[in-house]
Order: sequence, then structure tokens, then C-alpha cells
Amino acid sequence: MSRNPLDYQLNSSLNKSNSSFITDPILFTAVLAILTFGLVCLYSASGQDISMVTKQGIYISLGIILMLIISSIKERYYRPFLINLFWIGLLLLIWVLFFPAQGYNTDRWIDLGPFGFQPSELVRLTLPLAVAYHLTRKDRQPDLLDWLVVLFFIALSSFLVFKQPDLGTSIIVFISGFLPVFLSGFPLSIIFAGSISLIALSPLIWMSLSEYMKGRIFTFIDPNADPLGAGWNIAQSKTAIGSGGIFGKGYLNGTQSQLDFLPESHSDFIFSVIAEEFGLVGISFLFFLYGIILYRIFVISFNANTQFSRVCSASLGFIFLIYLVINVCMVSGIFPVVGVPLPLISQGGTSIIVHLMAFGFVLSLKRVETW
Amino acid sequence: MQRFRDLDIGRKQLQILQSRSFFIFIVITLIFLVFSYQILRLMVLDNVNYVSQSDQNRIITVPIYPARGLIYNSEGNIIVENIVSQDLVFYGSSLLELEENLNEIKGILGEESLLWDAGEQSSKDLSINLRQAILYKDLNTSQIAKFQLEKYKWPSVQIKPSLKRLVIDDNLYSHVVGYLGPVSREEIFSSNNFKYPLNYFSGKKGLEKNYESILRGSLGYRSIEIDAYGNEIKEISRISPQRPGNLYLSINKELQLIAKNELNGRKGAIIGLDPSTGLVKVLVSSPDFNPNLFNGTSSSGELSSLLTDKESPLFNRVISGNYPPASTLKPFIGLLALENKIIDWDYSIDDKGFFQIEGEGRKYRGWKEGGHGEVNLKKAIAVSSDVFFYQLATSLTIDRLSNFLEQFGFGLISGIDLDNESSANLPTRNWKLGAVGESWFVGDTVNLGIGQGYITITPMQLALATSVIVNKGIAYKPRIVERINQNETDKEILYEVKIQDQSHWDGLQDAMEAVTNSWYGTAYNLSLSGENKIAGKTGTAQIKSLTEEGLSVREEYEEIRESISDRDHALFVGYGPIQEPKLVMVVIVENGESGSSVAAPIAQKIIDTYLRESP
Repeated sequence: MSRNPLDYQLNSSLNKSNSSFITDPILFTAVLAILTFGLVCLYSASGQDISMVTKQGIYISLGIILMLIISSIKERYYRPFLINLFWIGLLLLIWVLFFPAQGYNTDRWIDLGPFGFQPSELVRLTLPLAVAYHLTRKDRQPDLLDWLVVLFFIALSSFLVFKQPDLGTSIIVFISGFLPVFLSGFPLSIIFAGSISLIALSPLIWMSLSEYMKGRIFTFIDPNADPLGAGWNIAQSKTAIGSGGIFGKGYLNGTQSQLDFLPESHSDFIFSVIAEEFGLVGISFLFFLYGIILYRIFVISFNANTQFSRVCSASLGFIFLIYLVINVCMVSGIFPVVGVPLPLISQGGTSIIVHLMAFGFVLSLKRVETW
Repeated sequence: MQRFRDLDIGRKQLQILQSRSFFIFIVITLIFLVFSYQILRLMVLDNVNYVSQSDQNRIITVPIYPARGLIYNSEGNIIVENIVSQDLVFYGSSLLELEENLNEIKGILGEESLLWDAGEQSSKDLSINLRQAILYKDLNTSQIAKFQLEKYKWPSVQIKPSLKRLVIDDNLYSHVVGYLGPVSREEIFSSNNFKYPLNYFSGKKGLEKNYESILRGSLGYRSIEIDAYGNEIKEISRISPQRPGNLYLSINKELQLIAKNELNGRKGAIIGLDPSTGLVKVLVSSPDFNPNLFNGTSSSGELSSLLTDKESPLFNRVISGNYPPASTLKPFIGLLALENKIIDWDYSIDDKGFFQIEGEGRKYRGWKEGGHGEVNLKKAIAVSSDVFFYQLATSLTIDRLSNFLEQFGFGLISGIDLDNESSANLPTRNWKLGAVGESWFVGDTVNLGIGQGYITITPMQLALATSVIVNKGIAYKPRIVERINQNETDKEILYEVKIQDQSHWDGLQDAMEAVTNSWYGTAYNLSLSGENKIAGKTGTAQIKSLTEEGLSVREEYEEIRESISDRDHALFVGYGPIQEPKLVMVVIVENGESGSSVAAPIAQKIIDTYLRESP
């Protein structure tokens, strides 16, 4: 917590003071544009189900409100509470393992009346924030104990999600926890050693995977072996993307999605619907919007005046990017189907709200301390 | 100092952050490059493939099956048509669900028209047959009403109309029209211009089989867009099916009725055809069957009892039955003897009642004790002298006999438009060597002279051979279908028999006229009762040979009569009216004993009726 004049001097030379309500209008506009585009696509992908779009609209509104509230708070007011937020998320993770909501395939939901809520989504936001806080709370490089403590909680969190079982989110939680560690200067030698032991332990890890997870990985390796079973999703998704061509089949005219050949078209596979209906042009536009968001986040990160702000915003930016890359690689058949939604577009309340809250933190971190 | 350290750390931390961020960017960029390549491959390079794949997903082509062609009799009345049958169909693939539903439905609809039995075949059908199974076939109105009231209980079960083949007069045309049956795997694979669905019915016998490609018509097609569950979204295009051909038969209902009634359940075969065209006017084989049992609504028990019936009602005796021609062969042998100048019309012998081969002791007896006395060819045919023809056959030898008889179509199939025709047996020396393992004896030739022994014929062959006599040397190919829609079928010459002296044909006709019209003729009874003068030849085919020389023919036969199935077959071939023959008839009554009193009156009656109907 450096409040010395030199810090101010350093940062004021890099950045302009910002006290407006929305600290980064470009980022905010790009987010709104993607959300709008997403709602339009969801209408098509859901088989023109207006009630699903309405519900999604409510989630988005809620997420935007939360984003604006968070963005308006100065970093120093919430920073000490980030650890507590993480504890709450961790407790909820343990809670779902023992008291899962009925009516879902996996034990990852908490029933909140009309809505379901996934604590794993919350954790993948609060974990990196708490880790970043813990590692940057002193004005020096973290010591060994700091590293060990955060690594333990990262491993614990991702293990709890893995047990739900949710391989995709468990990987995301691990990455989102490890990103601030890596960015804070975790010794590279340990990373190398860790990767080597991970490779050595991989047979053991494989044995601990459930049949459902193994099945997904097998399907990924050879999707054509079982085209009507688990590989069906990928085969249909590739057909949808490929048949879209350069200009697409037109809005609401995607036969793969409108005739229900594409499963999960409103959630994980919504990218395939966009590709089918809007073609290469449409997805280029989508990547352009995502690019703006990412660019703004990293500008904010590199220009921030505290290590906490830098690590936090860069981590949140990478998490967002990793979501995007995993999802598009998954639906185009490069990665196995691990159940990761397309950020800001796929149907699903918790995911969108958490992404928007993350943007709230990024916008808040841009507020320059004035005293 | 402290400040500088802070500044130092801040710089260092920013540096680490930026370089490590850069590293992550590189990794993600590499992944993104792979992704970009994949997207370009899918959307640009392989776009055409994926477009066609998505079209294959959503567009299916469904054949439209035309209603099967109709069949009319010579009076122009429909004898085979299609009617709507309301079937109860289960849609789904769960056998368990099917059986649960069926048990409940059975309680309401009863067992009547129940088609599904939980056999192996049925459960296989469910998995192969597009996930549907017919539970009930041809529901009656009260069953339909009962089901409609409670159908909400079984969403997977629906009433579905289908077309069912109906033969109107049940058994009357059974061996002519034949029947349908479920299409076989071979048919599905071998028909290249018609795509049979698995549960389709195709012709299995009779005209239904022979004219399958005409009756089934040609397929129409519709392209429809479907969703992932196979539900139809919309029709994209349609080619209507072509109207199938209707068959117009030369078969006459009145004649069929008389023939069937006259046989009255006895085994036998009756065929009548127009000698000037080859068109078949009457074709009855008895016992017969009801073709409607084969339309898919009968239980398998009914069908299997039909198939295993010892009387073999499915067997068409007219074209497949093998009978000894007996004395009906005599006119042909007489003609050959004339042709070879072995005899002329004036040549006569003294028939003492038996014949002996020179140098052999065995006596071949005639049917009449003591013989017919002085007989020439005409009288020998009229009184049916066995001794006369024993002698002719012996002089002619087997080689000349079988050569000549083949010209009349014996031993050959006629090519009538029905299936499963038999060529019967025209023996030769080589045939006997191969089939019996013995060489040909003169005694075999003697027996052949009276149409007994190794020779067998089908009633169809006999009718054609007789029409050669009527037409003085020509037989036309027999056919049942006179026209298909408006197109007449072709009249074709089947056999042409050339002889040196054409007047022999007249002599032969004279002799056959004498059979029915001279006081000594074997069928003189006809000229007393019949409306029209007809000519003909009787025959009595022995099933058991008479060999006991100690007994008289009559005594020995009395013993054989004890068993009905050993009694002689009654045969009659005839044509009428004499001046301008319109119908050639062959009547065979199995175990009917007398050609003249049992078979001949049936022929007379049919010819009389025919002439009354179409003078």
C-alpha cells in the first residue's frame, strides 16, 4: 500500500487521473455491444424462445448493475474484504458437494428459488482477487510461505470443483488462481519442476478421472468413432461452422441450429450458431469486439499504479481470454468438449454476472487514488 | 533509500508482469493461430463439404408409393382392388413400452384383428423397421371408436390408414390372381427402379407376381426438410408417382363359377382358351384358397395351415399338375402315323382286345374286354381303341414319337403369364437312361401309345396341343391379361406344326367329332344333352397299372377302386362349336374315373355357357 509521492509521480506520468463514473467508456461500450449481440444470437440459438432471452436479459441487467456498483467503489475500500469473499465462495463450494440442488446432472448448483447459482463461478472470480491481494499485501516480493499458502488454496478450490464433477470449470479455477501467482513473479524454476512432476503423475491423474470425463477426452481424440454418440456434438458443430461459409446463412436461417441438429446450441455451442448464421464475417466482428475489451483491460493493467491493480486486472483479462479461447477451440474441434461457455454470450446467468462483476473490478482499478 | 527500493521493486514487478504477460500472450496466440487455421479450413476450404453435410442432415427424400393397379375380369368388373385398412401402429423403439401399451389396449379392443405376437420376428421388426410396429391390422368401427375414447393414455400408439389388397370373389380367381406377401430381402436388393420399404407387400404368386412391376407402378418422390427428431418441417419438392397399370383379364366370371361349381371341391383342373388368340377364358384349379388371407390381416396360424394343407390348395394344377394324358394323346399319334405314311385313313386292324409284341409273350390289354373288332383310325379315335394305338406306337418308335409330340408343346412350358409352370415329362431314350437308369424298351413305347407310362402332361399343354389341331397347325401363346390399361397384349404364335398333307387336320377333326357325335363314340352322351355340337377326346388315366393277366380288366379295376386316391383320373379335351371353334377345353377330374361321363359334360356345359354369353 504505497502512498508515497514517488508512486504518485510515477503513475501520474503514465496515466491521467480518472474520477468519472465510467472510468473506461471504450471497454464499457464494447461490453454492451457484445451483450446486445449475444442476446440477438441467443434468440436464434434458443429456437426463438423469447422467454429464455428475457431471462438472460434480466441476468445481464443484474450483472451490469453489479458491475457499475463495483466499478464505483475505490479499490482501497474493498481490498481488505477480498479474502473474506473468497472464504464465502469456498464454503459454498463445500456446501454444494454435500447439499447439491436437485434436478441438475452435476452437483454444482445452489438453488435460489427461480434461479440456480454456481459457486464455482464465484470462486473463479474471488480466488484470483484474494490471491492477488495476499501476494501484494506487503511492499516486497512474496516469500515462500506466501506462495505455499496461495498454492494450497488454489489446489483446494480446483479440487472441490473437480469433484462436482466439472472438469472444465476446475481447469478454469486452477488457471484463474495461478495467473496472479505467475504474474506476481513466481519462481520459474519451481514452475518447471512442477510441470515435469505433473507429466510424471499424469497416469495417476488419468486413473482418477471419472468415466464421463474420460469419455469426453476419448471423443475428442477420435470424434468420428462414435458420430451419433458423444462425438455427435462436435460433428454437428463443425458442420454448422463449416456450412456457414464467409457470409453465413443469415439470421434465423441456420439449419443446423434451427432444426435442432446442433445440441446445446444456446449454451456451450452458441459460437457455432453465430458462425453458421453470420459466417466468417460475423465471427470476425465478434472477435474484434472481444479484442477491444482485452486491449483495454491490459492497457489498464500496465498503467495501473499499484502491483495489486496490475496483477488483478491482468489476471481477470487473461481469465476472460482463456474462457474465449477454450470455448471456441472446443466447438471447432481443437479442444475436447469440457463445458466452458462463450463469455458474455452463452446462456447462463452466473457466468455472465461473474464476468460483468470482473469488469466492474477492472473499471474500479482504473480509478486513480486521489488524496 | 527506502523510496528508491520501493521504486526499484515497483519497476521490477511491472517488468516481470509485462514479460510474463507477453509469454502468456505468445502461448495463447499460438493456440489462436491453430484455431484460425481450423476456422478457415471449416468455413472457407471445406465449406462446400459442410454445406452438403448440413443439407444431408436436414433434407430427406421420401418415396411416394402409388396404390397398386387394379385387376378386371372380361366382363369389365373389378376383381382385385385396394381398400383402406385402419391399423393400430406403435411408434417407438422400446419393446417394453410396446408390450405394456398392448396389454392395456388388448383389454379394450379384444383379440380380434390382433396382429402383434411377441415373437422374435416382431421384436426385430421394431428395431429395424423405422421404429414402428403394427399392433392391430384392419380395425373394425367399434374398435376404432373404443380406441379413440382412450387414446390419450398411449401417446406412442396411433391409428394409421393403409391400403389393403382385396380380392372381391374370394376363392373364385385364386390361381389366376395369386396373392401378395411381405417383400423379401432379395426383392429389396434386386429391384433397381423401385425402392421397396421393409414392410411393403409384393406379388408372390399368380398375376400379382408376374405383373408385379406393372401393378406396383413407379415411385414418386418428395423432398422434405426435417428437424433433428425426424419431424417434417416443410415440403421442398415433389414428383408425383405414376399411375400403375390396371390389368384387364380375358377370364370370364360365369365360366369360372361353373367350373368351380362343377368340380365341387373335387381335385381337378379346368382350362378353356380361345384357340384363335390364346386368351384364357377359364382357369380353375381345385382345391383353391382365399387370396385375402395373404393381405397381412390373417393370423400366422391360418396361413401356415393353408401352406401345410395336404390337398395343397396353393398348387395350380392347370399349369403345374402332371397327369398322364391317357387316350387324349391318341389323335396326335394317329397324325404322326399318317404323316409317316405308316397308315392312311382306310387302314384298319382287327382289335381283339389285346396286343402282343412280335416274339414276346406279354399281352397288352385294351380297355374293352374282347376288343372293338374292325377299326380304322377314325373309329379307333372315336371308340378309343387301345390296341390300334399300341400297334401304331410300336411301328413309329419312341424317337419319332417324342420328336413329333414336342412340336405340339409336350415337354415344354407354354410361357403363360403365370408363375411356376411345369414342363411335365416327354420321355426320350436318353431321358430314361438318365432318370430311370434303364434303356428304353419297346413295352415303354406301347404304353406311350395310349398316353400312359412315362409321359406326363399339364392341362395347359393339352389345351395348346388341341388348339394346334383346331387351328390346323398353329398354337397361340396362352395369356390371361388381355390388355394393360388401354394397351392390348400381343397375340403370338407359340408352336407351328407343319405336315405334308393338310387334309389330315380335317380328318382328325372329323374323328374327334365322331367321339361325341357318332353312336359308337366314347362321349356320345354329349350330343344328346348338349346345346352345341362339340368335338373332343376322352381319356381315363390309370394311376395303378393293371398287370394281373389272370383277371379281367374289369375285375382287377374293381379291386383298385376300393381306395379313392387310386381311382383313375377322368380327362376330356374338346372344342366347340364344331364349325368355328371358339373355345378349347381341357377338363381333368382327379380320381373321377370316367372321362366321358364326368369330365366331358363339364366341358360341354362351359362351352354352351360361353357361346350363350358371347355368340
